[in-house]
Amino acid sequence: MTEPTEFDLLELATPYALNAISDTERAALDRRLAAASRPIADRFDDEVRAVRETMAIVSAATSAEPPAQLRDAVLAAVQSEKPSQLRLRTALLAAAAAIIVGLAAFGIGIALRPPPTPTMTEQIMAAPDKRTVAGQLAGGTATVVFSRNINAGLVEMSHVPPPTQGTVYQMWLIDDKGPQSAGTMDAAGVTPSAVHLLRNLGKSSVLAFTVEPGKGSVQPTGTIITKLPLS
Amino acid sequence: MTEPSHGSDLDALLRRVARRDADAFAALYDHTRSRVYGLVMRVLRDAGYSEETTQEIYLEVWRTAHAYDSAKGSALSWLLTMAHRRAVDRVRSEQAAGQRESRYGAASVERPGDLVADSAIAADERRRVAACLDSLTDVQRQCIELAYYGGLTYSEVSQRLAANLSTIKSRMRDALRGLRGCLGVS
Repeated sequence: MTEPTEFDLLELATPYALNAISDTERAALDRRLAAASRPIADRFDDEVRAVRETMAIVSAATSAEPPAQLRDAVLAAVQSEKPSQLRLRTALLAAAAAIIVGLAAFGIGIALRPPPTPTMTEQIMAAPDKRTVAGQLAGGTATVVFSRNINAGLVEMSHVPPPTQGTVYQMWLIDDKGPQSAGTMDAAGVTPSAVHLLRNLGKSSVLAFTVEPGKGSVQPTGTIITKLPLS
Repeated sequence: MTEPSHGSDLDALLRRVARRDADAFAALYDHTRSRVYGLVMRVLRDAGYSEETTQEIYLEVWRTAHAYDSAKGSALSWLLTMAHRRAVDRVRSEQAAGQRESRYGAASVERPGDLVADSAIAADERRRVAACLDSLTDVQRQCIELAYYGGLTYSEVSQRLAANLSTIKSRMRDALRGLRGCLGVS
């Protein structure tokens, strides 16, 4: 038999999923898949998916922290991709402003009535200088959204296990004078719906987390388990 | 799926990235950077190349997040498939430039000692994966190492091991079935 059979096609699903084929072979395989019978194509896809999900788990074995400066480089590269979007937003805002001016000119003053005072959360989320920093905490993630202009931030925990009985997680804002307690979290405090407000960022450069006994400490007594740079 | 607790989060983040949400992108980076960088580093074995490639990968994520379809797999596997493909492309272009044997020829089992493992990925998950890798036969593991971490095609693996193509394909398939079973991937 000179023509490859559909069975050979399935044999190639694993090398295909592992990227263990040349670009030429990949292109040829893609063409054959497009022409293959539905059940064969589905089996091929299922195999590819299973291999990829498996290797995604296996990636735990090779995980390694990249240098910290890579984060800045990655985020900066993406920012530089955004100018057209920013221009669009500016244009939309200008258009919206023009509409409001137009409405006012027609005496529809109600459109300009000042909105109710936004909550601290809304102010932070709307702040132009809003930044987001996330870090791993006890197997979950702590995310801080903060604004220097508003001098406040929000902390959310995701999949962080509750602190062990008789302890709390305690947050510390650290500036050059040392750590200041920024609140504690008990088991309820790490649930997905819990949001913690950081009221006074001041000159702090880091938000750190420790585990503290009882209801928390005046100064950190435990080792710092996570540090999030507020920059 | 690897971290059931995280899977749906990554999905949601990726959907937000598709809508050009820079905060979601930063969070996605923080959730996945050690897996991505570690895999790239394992394939490229050079910190400078790995940083460049990781940066390219995340830029591709930013540009193509809208193409992610959760019906076709988890966000993590989408991302790592892309990352692995990039790393392998880089290895192969180095090979084309004639530099590969010296740099990558070893494709050895050991992880470079100077890499700091990510403490966020629970030690028990790493141990579980390591145990599953250990449960493979030597020839199966060698196939995965040469192909997945070494960037060789299955035909190059067959040449390297002087084994015929169908043997190599079977070893790869059996290795993956073993890992799947061991890790409980449905």
